[in-house]
Amino acid sequence: MNTIAALEQAEKLLTPWTKEAVRPESNRLDVTIAGLDLYACAAALKQEPWGYLSAFTGLDLGLEVGELEPLYPFCEGAAITTLRVRLPRQGGSVPTLYPLFPVASFFERELSEMFGIEVTGTPDPSRLFIPDDWPVNVYPLLKDFDPKVVQPRQADSPRSFQPQDGQTFYVPIGPQHPALKEPGHFEFTVDGEVIVGARMRLGYVHRGIEKATESQNWVQNLYLLERVCGICSHTHATAYVLGVERLAGVETPPRAQAIRELIAGLERIHSHLLWLGVSAHEAGFDTLFMYSWRDRETVMDILENLSGNRVNYSANIIGGVKFDIYPEHAKTIRQGLDFLEERIRHYLDIVTTDILFLQRTRGIGRISREEAAHLGLLGPTARASGVVRDVRIEAPYGPYSHYPVSIVTSEAGDLEARFVVRLKELFVTINTIRVIMDNLPESDLSVRVPRRIPAGETISRVEAPRGEVFYFIKSDGTDRPERIKVRTPSLCNWTAVLSKAVGSQLADAPLLIAGMDPCFSCNDRMITVKRLDGK
Amino acid sequence: MKFGTMLSDIFTSLFQAPVTQKYPFERQPTPQRLRGKLTWDPDRCSACSLCAKECPANALQVITVDRNNRRYVMRYQMDRCTYCAQCALNCRFKCIQLGSEDWELAALDKKAFTVYYGRETDVNTYLEETGDPNAEKPGPD
Amino acid sequence: MFSALKPILQILIFPAGLFLVASGIVVEWIDRKLVARLQNRVGPRWFQILADIVKLLAKEEILPSAANPWLFIGLPMIALAGCMTAALYVPLMGLSPAYSFSGDLIVTLYLLSLLTLSKGLAGWNTSSRFSLVGATRGLTQLFAYEAPFLLALLGPAIVAGSWQIDVIMQRNSSSWIILTQPIGFLVALIGLMGKLELPPFDAPEAETEIVAGAMTDYSGRGLAIFNIAKSVEFVIGLTLVAAFYLGGLNNPLEYLLKTFFILVVLIGLQTLLTRLRIDQTVGLWWRYGAILVLIQWMILIIWKESILL
Repeated sequence: MNTIAALEQAEKLLTPWTKEAVRPESNRLDVTIAGLDLYACAAALKQEPWGYLSAFTGLDLGLEVGELEPLYPFCEGAAITTLRVRLPRQGGSVPTLYPLFPVASFFERELSEMFGIEVTGTPDPSRLFIPDDWPVNVYPLLKDFDPKVVQPRQADSPRSFQPQDGQTFYVPIGPQHPALKEPGHFEFTVDGEVIVGARMRLGYVHRGIEKATESQNWVQNLYLLERVCGICSHTHATAYVLGVERLAGVETPPRAQAIRELIAGLERIHSHLLWLGVSAHEAGFDTLFMYSWRDRETVMDILENLSGNRVNYSANIIGGVKFDIYPEHAKTIRQGLDFLEERIRHYLDIVTTDILFLQRTRGIGRISREEAAHLGLLGPTARASGVVRDVRIEAPYGPYSHYPVSIVTSEAGDLEARFVVRLKELFVTINTIRVIMDNLPESDLSVRVPRRIPAGETISRVEAPRGEVFYFIKSDGTDRPERIKVRTPSLCNWTAVLSKAVGSQLADAPLLIAGMDPCFSCNDRMITVKRLDGK
Repeated sequence: MKFGTMLSDIFTSLFQAPVTQKYPFERQPTPQRLRGKLTWDPDRCSACSLCAKECPANALQVITVDRNNRRYVMRYQMDRCTYCAQCALNCRFKCIQLGSEDWELAALDKKAFTVYYGRETDVNTYLEETGDPNAEKPGPD
Repeated sequence: MFSALKPILQILIFPAGLFLVASGIVVEWIDRKLVARLQNRVGPRWFQILADIVKLLAKEEILPSAANPWLFIGLPMIALAGCMTAALYVPLMGLSPAYSFSGDLIVTLYLLSLLTLSKGLAGWNTSSRFSLVGATRGLTQLFAYEAPFLLALLGPAIVAGSWQIDVIMQRNSSSWIILTQPIGFLVALIGLMGKLELPPFDAPEAETEIVAGAMTDYSGRGLAIFNIAKSVEFVIGLTLVAAFYLGGLNNPLEYLLKTFFILVVLIGLQTLLTRLRIDQTVGLWWRYGAILVLIQWMILIIWKESILL
């Protein structure tokens, strides 16, 4: 169904509760509803089914208006319906959406700790990103937040140590652990080797980026947001500049768009090869780790040649790209891609036929398609379970309408499928890069964009190697943004780990965690999810 | 189902040299576009400070020593710089370059990270006025 | 006077003691270097293992408060002592064993398993989560591979008609048992990998799951001694398998060549294979390992009976 029809359908579904319905952009519908009707509206959308819950955002409308506004965007293809609720600055509350969308518990915790909005009925009201010794009743994302107020206090730990009763005890993995390349904390309650409960806490690398964006101008924010993550840095930068360009009403020249997609493709190759090595290491297959990282150097050299840096390429500027691709670069890229294609074919063969490796991956952590859709999974983790969810195909942005990619899915839903999907995606990516290089349009590299971006709100969704990156950008007409909200795919994918960990063996836990390709620094937030069965 | 699928790889590795680059004894040639240490040409500068205003890390400062004679000094803090090249992009007269040769920037002392660019006389004038003990020798333009 | 001094020299210098530690260091270095080269990396320089030991000996040893201090300090020493004692009965360097008596094969094998038992006990003793899981896995694995490994080494013993290592070696030095008992050789080799916790059987020490298994809380001297004990066991294991299956070790040159050959095979397998989960390891052993070795024994017994008739 096309975007306009989808939006009309959503508008019709929500009529009983609509206070006000606006179409701020051609693919967006904003519906203001009362807080109490939130659950009913979400249930109506899920019933249809219309889209999936993509993120939550909170807005502080300022001290004069005296209201907070949580936003709930649902995405169906390219159409986005946002439910907006107006709440007073103090004491506002909304009902939980957890029974409908398990992923909502993460978002709700963030909402309540950042804005002070109470979410009634949420399964876990403890903090997500903010550390335990942060003072109570101090909410960082409010406009009148004063950093001087923050004095560490005696933390009462929300996770008190549970006494061991005979057979079961819990094994902590992280925040310092050889398995994790970045800090996060997992508590697995085990009985022998079988996991019976799983909890996690993130936020160890929370850097307060969203708040920081409000005090820097649009150009500086580009570099700040690029550094949310090292492996998906170009995706974050792309999402940001697409949103800002849309607000500014400029059209990026075609050559710049093509170069953006090319670099995104190279980044995807880099990311998936990195992930292949890391997962192999988690499984104990160090040889595959060493070889795949050796081959990753090829793509890093290509990117360094092209952009000047191995990660954080800083290719984008608002209005275009910084550098051009000349024939000598194109030649290096092609040679590198030929080499990589052959090596990736070899790795695909290893991953699907090595008898011992299959023992570690086939049939383990199987998530069915319905479960994946219900849990709100994104990216290759969802595609490995057969869910057709890829922003580049459902909602093509920028150059993807000219150089489309094809989707790679698998029905198996187990760890092996995740390997296969990611490696096959790389073949598609390599071909797309070749097509782009053969058909690079001639044009300028950038257009001028004013320093003050016109007021407005926009939503920008981009497909990172890990899934959908969701950006909500609000400008108030000055040279600084009013609010930027970043929702990264790893946040949604944690539900996969936790739901599958219970019942599996402890030895599978690192592979389950690695299988969804977590990016802790991308998370930019903390999540604690308690999933204790019967404890 | 195969056993030992990586046999071809490990066998060929016996006859190949390791891929490890024995840095610092061997150095790979740097790509031309590498964003290394910043350099500044004072002759063309008009002190518009667009570079400093848009630096995400506030690593640059353009200091006016003598406005009438267009004498400027730039203070560059290497440790704050993120090597993004936004300054180079912004400069209308192409005063700023991010060189590709100078990228081994580690130092044992923080003093080495604050660099003053400009004509030697200007820098010395500025440093005497402010008595900044953290100064490095003026960098070449 | 020399005869009184001889046992002391044998324990301290050769064949046990310093010589054994030195050969353990050499074997471990070859292992790490070759694995690295197979993975297209450089690998450690020749003095790396020695440097590791010296560094560990210089580090502070932290005693966990929940651990029994006697056990904590004593267990590494017991492990090393067991391996060193076992060295007295095997033909190290191709020379005849220092001491030899009837039945010393069994004694040697039990002494060798002291290492795993000590590690298991050490893991239980420190009672941190990772050590407990590691210790449990180590002992589970012991139950899995020990029986087939023992039986595989007893194959040549049956043919030689003796339980004494020296005698077995002498009687089998004319023919290479590997040709007549290939299954036994395979089981012995894989059993050695299990005993030494080499990949794919390194679940007890799985770095990505349980930090360092039973060794997690050890640092400094205790860890150094455990590491030395492991490399010493490597040497003894190689010697045993080479002595039994590759036609005896009659002089140092043969010793070096044959043990090096087995070492290379083990390193190749180690690099090629991924780590198995503990339940898969046990399953593998009790399904395939035990059956294979029992088949080998059947063949042997039938053959021996038919010869005697």
